[in-house]
Amino acid sequence: MKKYVAIGIVAIALIVALGGFLPVRFDSSYDIEGFARLPILTGGRLKPIDSAARNSLLIVRDKQTFKNQAGEKKSAAEWLLDVTLRPELADTYKVFRIHNPDVIDLLGWQKEKAEQNGFYFSFNDLQPALEEIERQARTVNPEAQLRSPYERQLVKLRQSLILYNKLLHSFRPPGAGVSDLQTEYRTYHARAKQGMKSLADQQANRPFDNTTLRMFLAFAQRYKNLADNAALRIIPPADPALGAAGWQSLGIGLIDSIRTDSLDPAIMSYARMVDAYRAEDPSAFNDALKGLGTQVEERAGEDTGRVNYEYWFNNYQALYRSMVIYVLVFVLASLSWLFWPQTFGRAAFRLLALAFVLHTFGLLSRMYIQGRPPVTNLYSSAVFVGWVAVLSSLLLERLYRNGIGSAVAAMMGFCTLLIAHHLGRGGDTFEMMQAVLDSNFWLATHVVTVTIGYSATFLAGFLAMIFFARGLFTRSLDDGTARSLNRMVYGTVCFALLFSFVGTVLGGIWADQSWGRFWGWDPKENGALMIVLWNALILHARWGGLVRTRGLMLLAIGGNIVTSWSWFGTNMLGVGLHSYGFTDKAFLWLCAFWLSQIIIITAGLLPARYWRSRTALGRV
Amino acid sequence: MKALLKIFGSIRLTVTLLALSIVLIFFGTLDQVDYGIRHTQEKYFESLFAFWSYPPQWILGELLGDLPLPMPGGYLIGPLLILNLLTAHFLHFRPNWKKSGIVLIHTGVVLLLIGQLVTQLVQEDSYMWLNEGGMSNFLESFHEDELVIIDRTDQLKDDVVSIPTSLLKRPGEIQDLKLPFQIKVRSFFPNSSIVKRADSPQVQSTLINRGLGLDMKIDAREIPVTYQPDERNITSAIIEILSREESIGVWLVSNIFDDRFPAQTFTHAGRDYKIALRYKRRYLPFELTLVDFTHDRYPGTDIPKNYSSKVRLFNSRTGEDRQVLIYMNHPLRYEGLTFYQASFGKDDTASMFQVVRNPGYFIPYLACILTALGLLVQFTISLTAFAVKRSK
Repeated sequence: MKKYVAIGIVAIALIVALGGFLPVRFDSSYDIEGFARLPILTGGRLKPIDSAARNSLLIVRDKQTFKNQAGEKKSAAEWLLDVTLRPELADTYKVFRIHNPDVIDLLGWQKEKAEQNGFYFSFNDLQPALEEIERQARTVNPEAQLRSPYERQLVKLRQSLILYNKLLHSFRPPGAGVSDLQTEYRTYHARAKQGMKSLADQQANRPFDNTTLRMFLAFAQRYKNLADNAALRIIPPADPALGAAGWQSLGIGLIDSIRTDSLDPAIMSYARMVDAYRAEDPSAFNDALKGLGTQVEERAGEDTGRVNYEYWFNNYQALYRSMVIYVLVFVLASLSWLFWPQTFGRAAFRLLALAFVLHTFGLLSRMYIQGRPPVTNLYSSAVFVGWVAVLSSLLLERLYRNGIGSAVAAMMGFCTLLIAHHLGRGGDTFEMMQAVLDSNFWLATHVVTVTIGYSATFLAGFLAMIFFARGLFTRSLDDGTARSLNRMVYGTVCFALLFSFVGTVLGGIWADQSWGRFWGWDPKENGALMIVLWNALILHARWGGLVRTRGLMLLAIGGNIVTSWSWFGTNMLGVGLHSYGFTDKAFLWLCAFWLSQIIIITAGLLPARYWRSRTALGRV
Repeated sequence: MKALLKIFGSIRLTVTLLALSIVLIFFGTLDQVDYGIRHTQEKYFESLFAFWSYPPQWILGELLGDLPLPMPGGYLIGPLLILNLLTAHFLHFRPNWKKSGIVLIHTGVVLLLIGQLVTQLVQEDSYMWLNEGGMSNFLESFHEDELVIIDRTDQLKDDVVSIPTSLLKRPGEIQDLKLPFQIKVRSFFPNSSIVKRADSPQVQSTLINRGLGLDMKIDAREIPVTYQPDERNITSAIIEILSREESIGVWLVSNIFDDRFPAQTFTHAGRDYKIALRYKRRYLPFELTLVDFTHDRYPGTDIPKNYSSKVRLFNSRTGEDRQVLIYMNHPLRYEGLTFYQASFGKDDTASMFQVVRNPGYFIPYLACILTALGLLVQFTISLTAFAVKRSK
């Protein structure tokens, strides 16, 4: 019986892990995958259209999928395809998420009606209020940190609308009248030369052909408009050696054809694809896409390997899958303290290893795609903090074999990935690095060590949480467990002090090398220093005999507060601490976390008679 | 005496001081929201005591706003930590290889503290703006100003007498041996706004009878000092020049009157003088010329990829004349100064370098090496002990 339960659980986890290897199927006769795989350049980085579509939809809708009018769940790539090629359809999709009641009022909607649609609005819903949105958005506080929730929502909505418009201008010149884009481009190309001549004649005050000139100017205006508004650069470089800088938007490519006196074949292939899609002809669309795919890949050069990998990685969702398995591990490890310790303990450890493999895989994939050390922004720091914590807990579990390592690993793996998931809502998580941070050497040394320091300090704090949870609410905290927890926390704090100290010092050296100053009392630096001091305080308090097991655990929980302040709090200075910023969601979550830790500390201070595991407490 | 030594050498004091320093750093970070880094640094880390007041715009701010929270400042905690460490070492530690790591770590920590103290006492921060093709041989201070009286009689060289603004804050006359007259400060404004006299009837000053203040009918009005990192105080003063108790004239000077304004000059005893209040300058024994400034962005974005300044360095004393490139993470180090790329402007044709002078820059390096070594030794010892214990 035990065995079958354990096998069953492991099997479920394996299905979760392997499920991602199934090919993605789109419910469409169009080759959506072929479209989604095409490389394009946006945000300074080459990526598959799939990533651009997902990131855009995330900004607009807070999700990577949407529902069409029939209520079917559709992919981001399909949304992008309709936005740019069939805007008459896309304009009816409810994708703009607006939850601020004042902005909903501004649109003239009753709250109940908005709620029925899940607070999603279509472009057509917003159309009547566009001018008003623009007018109101212009009056918001120029200091982003001082904006009210209403103003933030307005700014976000306006940005979403601008993005929507820019996507619309990425694959074809908008306008309902156009049905045959290939003919348009050919006409333009055929007349461009004459047009340029007429223009030169006119400027030199020579006689010129007015009809040709006017037609040419109309084309030029149309393509300039396209070039000014495009979000994506879809035309690959003429020579792969040009790299990222060689990518052009469609509009620029069209204008450039006057100079080169030839229409780029990629422009024509895209036009074929556009015409086929607008004519609702899947086979022609798929044909055009096939030619386009090889053409673009050849010209994009060696970067296509990464782009293809990124497409696959987007669909595999390694971090999401490991998050699901972490939940299973936590349940199993907690159960193992109550009954069937051997069976559940072992199953938990195996699943943990599986989740860790997926987590590692996600981390390495991100490093490969970005070509950078693991931590480059807040999102990746969350992934890395979790990874280090799980790795350390796996080692602890190997050493102590009491399920504690597994439970803590699962908790931290899950929490950090959940945080990362929410941080990832801002759009592309592979942002380009600001000039000042563009140093792989320092990113790999200072940033990584400091982040390991965060991770270790949290690990000690989470271990301490297990101590209190088991001690206060169960009878399972016996002498042996308390002693091993004591040793685990002590070792982890030593480790945390080592890494946070070295990391902070490396940061000082980076600053001195780059700016001629070792220390500047800047919030992030101060935060790192506070972690170092806190860990030093814990160790000195223990060495001096000022605290024993319970005191050590209480101080370790304090480490959670200090570290979360340093990790997130310092970034919110100017946001969270201004009077308006209190409504900021992330700040509320941070406060909630601090409150929870204070509650645990208070509960941990309760006299022994309130504890369910009294024997252990008597001696610590 | 023994009891006192015991207190100063106790680990209880160490833990207390560590806790207090965490509190200090926390509030010293929090206050940066309202007062900027520089002011906060002085208030918390370069003082014996610091007081934090509850921001009035927070919840219950009206009730709690008037109760300042006192705490020991950086100049109290730092020395106490050093004292604590030294006393503890002399009281408790006996030479022992097992403790060698700890001694190294603590020596490093003491050095770090001393290094920071040295930095805070002697480090100078200034900047230099250069236009493409432009040359400069001086640095300007971010925060300090100076009153200068320049003797311009000699066509070839200027004779500059610089008076720090700290002297202007005191009442009384200033006499410099190089000047044949006295300077009397009629008013001094650490921060001010320059107003048209006609628009501001409450400005009583009819004192000004020479220079810009008279010609442009302007005056200075005192406003609260700003601590915002991106703003600079407009320092102004009304200065009277006296020769043997007789007034030569009264001028309005302000650090906002830069090169775009006509110079304020006067003649006394056959010599030509210029009077100005300006950003404090430090002249260099060499000059820099900006040849070219470039600013790359990632394609299709506004995210800066690289800023870089091509600069010509000329030192007439040593005859050095060479080209240097200053870009992100690659400053110019020359004559004890570090020039790093800090900003740019005028459509990418002007470049700003922040310039730091810190003679104690090597102390943290030394400290880090000692501490890192100590940590390594101590952890190796502990790990070996742990491994031996487990294998038994």
